[in-house]
Amino acid sequence: MKKNMSNIKKSALVLPAVMLLMLLAAGNLFAADTLTVDIYGPGQRKVNIILLPPKTVPEGKYAGSTETDLPLPAEAGSFNKDLEKDLGFLPFLNIVPITDILGGDPSRGVRPGDIEIKPLRLSKVDLALTTGWEIRPNGEKNLLIRCIGTFNGRTILGKKYSMVTEEMLPRIADRFCSHLMRVLTGRDGFFESSIAFVRKTGKNKEIYTVSPQGRNLRQISSLGGINLSPNWSPDGNRLVFTRLGSRQHLLCVWDRATGKIDQKSFPGNTVIGPDFLPDGDMAATLTMNGNSDIFLINGNYKPKKALAKSWAIEVSPDFDRTGQKMVFTSARFGNPHIFMLDMKSGVVTRITTEGKYNTNPTISPDGRFVAFSRQIPSGHRIFVHDLQNGRERQLTFGPGNDEDPAFGPDGYFIAFSSSRSGKYKIYLTTRHGDPAMQVPTGNGVAKAPAWGKAHKS
Amino acid sequence: MRARAIILGVVFMLIAGLGTGCAKKQVESSPASPAVEKRMADQQNKEQLRKEEQARLERERVLQEQALEDERKAAESAAAKKEFDTAIVELGNMVHFDFDSFEIKQEYRPLLQQKAEILKKYDNVTMVIEGYCDERGTEEYNLALGERRARAAYEFLILLGVAPERLSIVSFGEEEPLDPGHNETAWAKNRRAQFRLTY
Repeated sequence: MKKNMSNIKKSALVLPAVMLLMLLAAGNLFAADTLTVDIYGPGQRKVNIILLPPKTVPEGKYAGSTETDLPLPAEAGSFNKDLEKDLGFLPFLNIVPITDILGGDPSRGVRPGDIEIKPLRLSKVDLALTTGWEIRPNGEKNLLIRCIGTFNGRTILGKKYSMVTEEMLPRIADRFCSHLMRVLTGRDGFFESSIAFVRKTGKNKEIYTVSPQGRNLRQISSLGGINLSPNWSPDGNRLVFTRLGSRQHLLCVWDRATGKIDQKSFPGNTVIGPDFLPDGDMAATLTMNGNSDIFLINGNYKPKKALAKSWAIEVSPDFDRTGQKMVFTSARFGNPHIFMLDMKSGVVTRITTEGKYNTNPTISPDGRFVAFSRQIPSGHRIFVHDLQNGRERQLTFGPGNDEDPAFGPDGYFIAFSSSRSGKYKIYLTTRHGDPAMQVPTGNGVAKAPAWGKAHKS
Repeated sequence: MRARAIILGVVFMLIAGLGTGCAKKQVESSPASPAVEKRMADQQNKEQLRKEEQARLERERVLQEQALEDERKAAESAAAKKEFDTAIVELGNMVHFDFDSFEIKQEYRPLLQQKAEILKKYDNVTMVIEGYCDERGTEEYNLALGERRARAAYEFLILLGVAPERLSIVSFGEEEPLDPGHNETAWAKNRRAQFRLTY
C-alpha cells in the first residue's frame, strides 16, 4: 500500500516532469511528425514542393468511374497557375517542376493513396499539392486541395471549397496558401494583407492600396498634388498620410467606412511621416516651435506632447504591436541615425552607429527587429538590426536605391521601394534577405509601401 | 467902338468856343475815308490773327509741356516699374545649399540682405519660402531638411528686419526638382530655397 502510495507520489512528480519534457519536445516531435519551417530562426531551410497536375475525381457526375483521365473543367489549368504564383511568394518554398520527377506525374488521383511517393522522395520533394475537381451531376463544381507530406505520405492540409466559380479561384488560391503558410510556419496574414503606397501619375502622387501578390489595386486619394507617406491604422480601417499643399502640409486621414479624407493643418505648416499608434492616436513630425520634432497627436488632431525632441531633425516614427517601442530617425548627433524610444520610461537608445545616412526605420510587430535604409557608396540599401543581439545584416543589394522598408504584419516579409529597374517600384523580401519579388502596382513610379494587416472587407 | 470890340471879342470867343466844340465833334463823327477804313480793318484783323496765333502757340506750348510732363511721368513710372520688376526678379533669386546641410553659405548672405532691403522698400510684397532637396536622401528626412532650409532663409530675413507676418515657409522635400538629372550639377541646383511672391 505504502509502496503504491509512493508510486503514486512518484508518478505525481514524474507526470508533470514528463509533461514538461513533452512540451519542450513538442516542437521537435512536431517537426518529426510533420514538416515545419522556422521562418524566425537564424536562417531558413527551403522546402521542396511540387504542384501535381489537376484531376477530376470520380465522384458526383463521374461517381464509380475507373478512368484515370476524366475530363477537366476549363478553369483547372488557370487555377493551378494561380496556386503556383501564390506559392512563389513564399520564399521558404522551392517549387519543383513535374519534369524533375522520374517517370513524370506520379499521381493517379488526388488522395495520398493515389500518389507514388518513391519517385517524389527520390527527387527530394517534401510536399506534394493535389487539386481535385468534383463535378456535381447538376454541373456545380467543388474543389479539393490537399498538401501531402512525402516523408509519411499523409495529408498535412486538406481543404474543400464548394460551388466554385471562376472568379472565386484567385481568392481560393490565396486562402489555401495562407492556410499552408500557417501550417508550415505558424504565421499567416500575408495573402490577406494590403500594402498602401504612393503612385505617381503625371505630376500628381496619390495613395493606392494593393495586396502583396498584386490583387485588388485601388486608388484611395484623388486629391491632386503631392500625397506622401501612407501608414495604416492597426485595425486596417484607416490610412494616414501627408499632403503637400502650396502653402502648408496637411495631415490626411482616410476612413474605409466612409471613404472620406479628413485634412488638417498645423502651426508651422509642416506634417511629415505620420503613423498610427495601436490606441488610434497618431505621431508625426511637426514644427510647432520651429524645430522638426515628433509629436503625439490625438484623435481630434490635437498635438499632445513631443515624443522625440532635439535641435535637429526628428522624423519617421514607427511602432511595434504594443506601442511600447517607437523607432525613429534623428540627426541629433549630426548625421541621420536610427533611435528607439521606450514609450513607458522615455529612455532613448541609439540603434545604428555605422554609416552616415540611416533613415526610414520600421520595427517588426513583435518589437525584435528594426529594418532601415542605409546609404552606402552605391546607393541606399535595406539593413535589418536584431535588437536582441545588436547584429546587423544587409538584406538588399540594389542596384539603384532600396528605400522605405516596411515590415509585414507577420514580421517576416519586408516591403520596400527600389529603383533597380530604373523606375521606383515596390518589392518584397524577407528578414532573411530573400530574392526580391516585385509587387504588381500598375503603371508609374511606386514608392513608400506601408503594410497593413488583414482586414475583413 | 470899344463896345463893338468887346462884342466882337465875345462873339469871336463864342464862335471860337463853338468852333472848337464843333471841330472835336467833327473828328469824332466825321466819316473816315474808305482807304483809312480798310487800313483800320486790316489792322484789326491782323491784331486778331496775331492774338489767335498767340493763343494757339500758347495752347500748343501748354500741350507740349503737358506731353513732356506726361512723358516724364511715364518714364518715371516705367522706371519705377522696371525697378520693381528688377526687385521682384532679385527677390526670386534662389539660395543653394550643400548636401545634407541647411546652413546659409557665405556667398548667399548678400543675396538675402538684398532681399531684406527690397522687402522693406516694397511693403506690399509677401513671400512664401519653399525648401527643396536633391533626390539622394530619403523622402521623409528630405521633407524635414527642406523645411530647415526654408526656415534658415526665413530666420535670416527676420534678423534683417523683415516682418515675420510677411513670410511663410513650406517644404517640398525632393519633389519638383529644377533639374531632373541624376548628377552633381543637377543635385546642386535642386538643393535650394525658392521664393514665391505675392503682390
